[in-house]
Amino acid sequence: MFLTIDTRDSRPIYQQVVDGIKEVIARGDLKEGANLPPVRQLAADLGVNLNTIATAYRELQKDGLIAVKHGSGSVVASRTATERDEGELLRPLRTALTQLVLAGLPSSKILDIVVRELRLVTKGSQ
Amino acid sequence: MSNDLFIVVAYLVVSGGARIRGIFRRWQQPVLRGPEWFFNVHVRPDFYAGQGHKILRGYRMRMLMPVAIELIIATAIFFSGHFQNLAYLMVGIAVLIHVNHVFNVDAAERKARSFAVAEAEEPVPSVVLSLKSRRLRDYSNPKLELAIAVVTVAVFAWLVRYYLGSPEHHNFRMVFALPLFLLYVQFGYLFVKQIVVAWRTPVPQAGAEEHLKAREERRKLYLKTCDISRVSNVAALLIWPVFLSISPTKIKFFLEAWLGSLLAVSVVLTIWQEIRRKQVLALALRTRPAKLPDLLDDTPAPNWPVCYQPSAPMLVLKGTRGYSLNLANTLAQMGAAYLAGLGILMAVLFRTAH
Repeated sequence: MFLTIDTRDSRPIYQQVVDGIKEVIARGDLKEGANLPPVRQLAADLGVNLNTIATAYRELQKDGLIAVKHGSGSVVASRTATERDEGELLRPLRTALTQLVLAGLPSSKILDIVVRELRLVTKGSQ
Repeated sequence: MSNDLFIVVAYLVVSGGARIRGIFRRWQQPVLRGPEWFFNVHVRPDFYAGQGHKILRGYRMRMLMPVAIELIIATAIFFSGHFQNLAYLMVGIAVLIHVNHVFNVDAAERKARSFAVAEAEEPVPSVVLSLKSRRLRDYSNPKLELAIAVVTVAVFAWLVRYYLGSPEHHNFRMVFALPLFLLYVQFGYLFVKQIVVAWRTPVPQAGAEEHLKAREERRKLYLKTCDISRVSNVAALLIWPVFLSISPTKIKFFLEAWLGSLLAVSVVLTIWQEIRRKQVLALALRTRPAKLPDLLDDTPAPNWPVCYQPSAPMLVLKGTRGYSLNLANTLAQMGAAYLAGLGILMAVLFRTAH
């Protein structure tokens, strides 16, 4: 259950934190109702600015992935609360697929990649 | 054997043993990784032939400073005859040695960085942080905790009964000062345990597993050491009612037996701790030290040696002059409150004593 921060990554640190926590939740390492480290603690542990983690948590809350409970920190929200428009969910997938097609990869290879990545992302949540 | 002699012997055994071991260990620390390293700085091959020798000597001299201070104060105490102050000296110097070591290592490493291999000074691009939750109870033995709690409550209940049985004949400080001090120190150990359990920093992504394994083993060793100290603390607390109630004719025999057992147990535990420490060290030496990237944006450089930066809630912040204690950190605040409480408690005990 790791959070990775890469300084070569073009994404800002808060976005890497958001994506990292999303991955951990998707894999089932953080289950529904599990506590997330408090903003202050995670910022101190990771050695980043308090606002970086606060922004990341706000983003996760906006996406319905975590719920902020006053006095007891943030917890992983139930999946039913994260129901979103299918079109909205498909958009990033379509963008990624477009990039793979434009990179010249054949459909079978792309399908392999998608299946492999899906297995990686959901590892442990089955 | 008088009370004073008891304190003197305890001081010489406990403090003397710890100092010799500490000096030996810290003396070796800079060169443990071999001649191409100074602590965790990968230095040029000719480092120790040139400036490195001077830096190493400076580190070792500064490392000995608290011991020199202790020797001066201890000598003054021995000449003044106020042997009770040796107990406070032991605690004070232990804190000073650790604080001095942190700043000393940092200062020496900063000097050595000027002679570091250039590529080794580049921060690693990628770090990982374990999100695995850790709780104090996961690292606690319920039977041990129960035993400590039961002994503590029983001793204080006995002391209250003893004092109230004949308050006009018993001095309150004589009965309660040492147990209260020991109780406060017991809470201090718990606080330290909490810090050790909660301590979490990123590790380089390359070799992350090795780094985390070494860190976990080190954590377990520190926690075990804390628990041993807590048991010693509660043993001293348990012996106090016996000391108060025993007949004067048997005190000499009792103290000698107690000191003998203390010495024997200390030797066994010290040997155990050295073995474990070497195992943990072997694991740590397998990991390659790496400079971590600075992930703090737009944060002003902290003042040295203490600062207050709520936007960067780390316990320590690295500035141009080295590490700075961040008073905006909750642990720093709790630690400061604890030390203030310790100071007040000791001042009260001193005042009542005279």
